[in-house]
Amino acid sequence: MMSKEIYKLHPISAVINFVKGLKELIIPIGIIFLSRFLNRSEELNFWTDLLPILIIGVPVIFYLFSGIIKWWTFIYWFEEDELRVEYGLFIKKKRYIPFERIQSLNYKEGIFHQIFGLVQVMVETAGSTDGKPEVELTAVKKDEAKRIEVQMYKSKNQKSNLDYLGNAKEGEFISEPLSESIHKMSNKDLLILATTSNSIGVVLAGIAAVVGQFSEYIPYDLIFEELSLFVQFGVVIILFTIIVGLLLAWLLSIGLTFLSYYDFSVMKESDKVIVTRGLLEKKKVTIPLNRIQAIKIVENPLRQLFGFASVIIESAGGAAGEKEKKMTLFPLIKKKQLIPILNDLFPNFELEVDIVRPPKKAKTFFYRMDFIWLIPVIALCMYFYYPYGLLSMLLIIPVILLGIWRFKTAGLAIRNNQLMIVYRRISRITFLVEKKRIQVVMRKQSFFQKRKKLASIQATVMSGITGATAIASHLDEVETNTVLDWIEHKRLS
Amino acid sequence: MRNEPIHRIPKKGLTVWRLYGVISTIIVIILAVVTIFLTHKFQWPVFIYYIVIGMTIINPIFSIWFIPKIRWQHWRYDVREHEIEIQNGLFVVKRTIVPMVRVQHVDTAQGPILKKYDLANISISTAATTHTIPMLVSNEADNLRSRISELARVAEDDV
Repeated sequence: MMSKEIYKLHPISAVINFVKGLKELIIPIGIIFLSRFLNRSEELNFWTDLLPILIIGVPVIFYLFSGIIKWWTFIYWFEEDELRVEYGLFIKKKRYIPFERIQSLNYKEGIFHQIFGLVQVMVETAGSTDGKPEVELTAVKKDEAKRIEVQMYKSKNQKSNLDYLGNAKEGEFISEPLSESIHKMSNKDLLILATTSNSIGVVLAGIAAVVGQFSEYIPYDLIFEELSLFVQFGVVIILFTIIVGLLLAWLLSIGLTFLSYYDFSVMKESDKVIVTRGLLEKKKVTIPLNRIQAIKIVENPLRQLFGFASVIIESAGGAAGEKEKKMTLFPLIKKKQLIPILNDLFPNFELEVDIVRPPKKAKTFFYRMDFIWLIPVIALCMYFYYPYGLLSMLLIIPVILLGIWRFKTAGLAIRNNQLMIVYRRISRITFLVEKKRIQVVMRKQSFFQKRKKLASIQATVMSGITGATAIASHLDEVETNTVLDWIEHKRLS
Repeated sequence: MRNEPIHRIPKKGLTVWRLYGVISTIIVIILAVVTIFLTHKFQWPVFIYYIVIGMTIINPIFSIWFIPKIRWQHWRYDVREHEIEIQNGLFVVKRTIVPMVRVQHVDTAQGPILKKYDLANISISTAATTHTIPMLVSNEADNLRSRISELARVAEDDV
């Protein structure tokens, strides 16, 4: 039946294994070089000079050999509708994966891969919840990767023939399944994505932190002495610094965005969505539609203003070795375009539904909890920085405004088997889930909420280890009970 | 208006919670004595005395009397054919519904103190979360465990 031919990885995978090992050593190497650099003594001292080299050298050699050994011993083949993998020198590791258990094959191309026309294959099953793929083929030729895919389709197809289900589908499976492109991002989109992303703030904070760290070494006194001549331009200088900082942050954000999202495209293939992206490291991720647990439409304030949104999906397993089981399906998309696309991908979901909003009396609930931390902070500010500390009172205004904004955003909608929860932290989040994907529903009611006949309700779906939760806060008690009734099994008769 | 779930935690459970409170109080008192001793020895500021003494007075009131009482009053549970309903909480009353189809496994656990009182905790795991019903009479916990696993096996996805 199936030929029992044994395949090996491309030799370059030894190098890749080695480099991957080295990456883990970067921090210790950095520390040693830095300490060497800071502590320049003329004499050669065993403890300070030779030991570090030993400490670094031994693992480097270890990684080199382990990289080579792993490549040398790694074999894979197809047998009895299984992908079988074996490696290890002293301890032989064997792993057999039935094709029907494979959720998805994901691909990654680093720089090394691209030079030699290779690809890294990650085999994901439903069991791989810890974020690691079940099997990783570090580097194989592209046509070999194709071969695995073909084998998989073949065996799945045989299975369905046995079940008398898939006769009609035979052709579809053996030949390349039809795929249609649903979304592509142009460079202009990437620019908008970078400009409106939250990561700009992160980058700014990072720059500030780095400057803060090195501020000891920057001879401010010297600089400022010279600049004291231009002290009247102080404001100009501050403005200039701010502008330069913003510009740098912006450029960095653009760089990072292009690195990970360049050539972003989403394709639909029968019951899967395929996402490809990346500049230096190309990634191709397959998401089986039936593994998707929930959809989150996220609109940060800036994007909401211009009618953009991003879409994140919570998936149970099979998210390409990413740490968390959430995947960005669309990093940036016009909301108008989004609705038809989502309707096409997830016909079970209704996107335009009427939302039940919290009643007017709930308004204060959205910010009064914040006073618990706000009042002590203000009190401390006033105590320690007396005259200017009074300004901290102004903090109350944005906190209340944000609370009101949250109140205006929040809501909930039930449609047949679909639950939609809309809420806001800073970004507006629309959480969509089918009844059969909900693991747990919880209603929360504090003493104060009870007095006003209000309650909050949250739904949890499977995603990673802890699951993903969405909460609709401070709704009318009756509405939350509707959700509890809805999740309960309908009694017959 | 939805009715509260019907079953309550046995009264013995309240006793055990109080006992936990006593244990934590003893630990707090030991820590307090050590702190007072150190404060006295190293001439630390006086306000430390007030804080420590205040804590040792307030802690038992809450951990032995108030918190176990409220918690016990709020605790309710119900295991029905298609779902498990749990109500618990201290200041925020939480009402949780776990559909039977989602239950992956059920465990019972019993520490030395619980064993003495012939009680057991039962925890129900879904793919994403774990829920515990504490302080059930051992027999009942075992029965409930087998009942839930039975029901979970029978339950079918009909949506």
